[in-house]
Amino acid sequence: MGNSQMDIAENPAELSAKTEMWRGVVASAPLILGVVPMALVLGAQAAQKGLTLAQVPLMTGLNFAGGSEFAAIKLWTSPPHLLLIVAMTFLVNSRHLLMGAALAPYIKHLPKRKAFPALFFMCDESWAMGMADARRRASAGISSSFSLPYYLGASASMYLTWVLCTTLGAFIGPAIGHAETYGFDMAFPAVFLVLLKGMWHGARAARPWLVSLVVAAVTFLLLPGGWYVPAGALSGIIAAFFWVEHK
Amino acid sequence: MMEQFHTVLTILLMATATYLTRTVGYVALRNRKLSARSMAVLEAVPGCVLISVIAPAFVSDQPADLIALAITLLAAMRLSMFPTVVIGIASAGVLRHLM
Repeated sequence: MGNSQMDIAENPAELSAKTEMWRGVVASAPLILGVVPMALVLGAQAAQKGLTLAQVPLMTGLNFAGGSEFAAIKLWTSPPHLLLIVAMTFLVNSRHLLMGAALAPYIKHLPKRKAFPALFFMCDESWAMGMADARRRASAGISSSFSLPYYLGASASMYLTWVLCTTLGAFIGPAIGHAETYGFDMAFPAVFLVLLKGMWHGARAARPWLVSLVVAAVTFLLLPGGWYVPAGALSGIIAAFFWVEHK
Repeated sequence: MMEQFHTVLTILLMATATYLTRTVGYVALRNRKLSARSMAVLEAVPGCVLISVIAPAFVSDQPADLIALAITLLAAMRLSMFPTVVIGIASAGVLRHLM
């Protein structure tokens, strides 16, 4: 009897954390559907570029940022051009700087020992879900609007799916053969175009993108290697800098 | 052996660079506010990077690839991630086979 009273006293917080985490896992299910084929394609392409079955989960598990991994594998040579790939990884993931900045007000009440591990799992999907959920809860009048267990539940299902399926992709990759034959390489532009649509704030705000596209395409046609990416990205950022001033 | 070391080192540095992007925004902004101008420039960065990465697809010398890219672009404007990826892969696969 005493025990069950203890249970009742202790359970609500624990139960609510578990419920919240599960709510995150369930909410991430539609995104998982999109992640699985992407992960298989990335794993297969990484294996084609010579990464071993152990190196693929090492990359996808420690880096855990799909866009940068696709970019790195695309630029991968044997041996890899270390500086180019690390610089590209930083540039492709520079969007995390903004995402982290936007998330900061929601998690600044958390102790650093919780905030820093939570940020390791911040990907486009888990960030977007956590932020959207925080806005919903805030408008419903819940005081601590950002639900860390909800965010961690969504992150965990994204993370496990990504690492397991990229490894599986590397394993069955040779059976798939060359991705280009079947059009799997079109997955890159497809994913990036959908991500771009999500960032669209009208044609005016997108002018720097056009600068980047043109400069990157011309650089790609004129210069060998992967330099078209930093060339295109930097020209667009410089254009954005001047367009902001003239507003 | 040397090459395996080089690969693992590249992966470890990639992971470090990525973790920095995830934490720097939080560390810098948990007690501060950026100017509107810096925010506007920062907002343009991810799009500029993403479109630069896929720029070569826009100047492919294969007509099949260009048509598949146009179909994928239309799909991306109307549909979510999963159907867009399926349509992109299928259109590129089919068109390359036919053309």
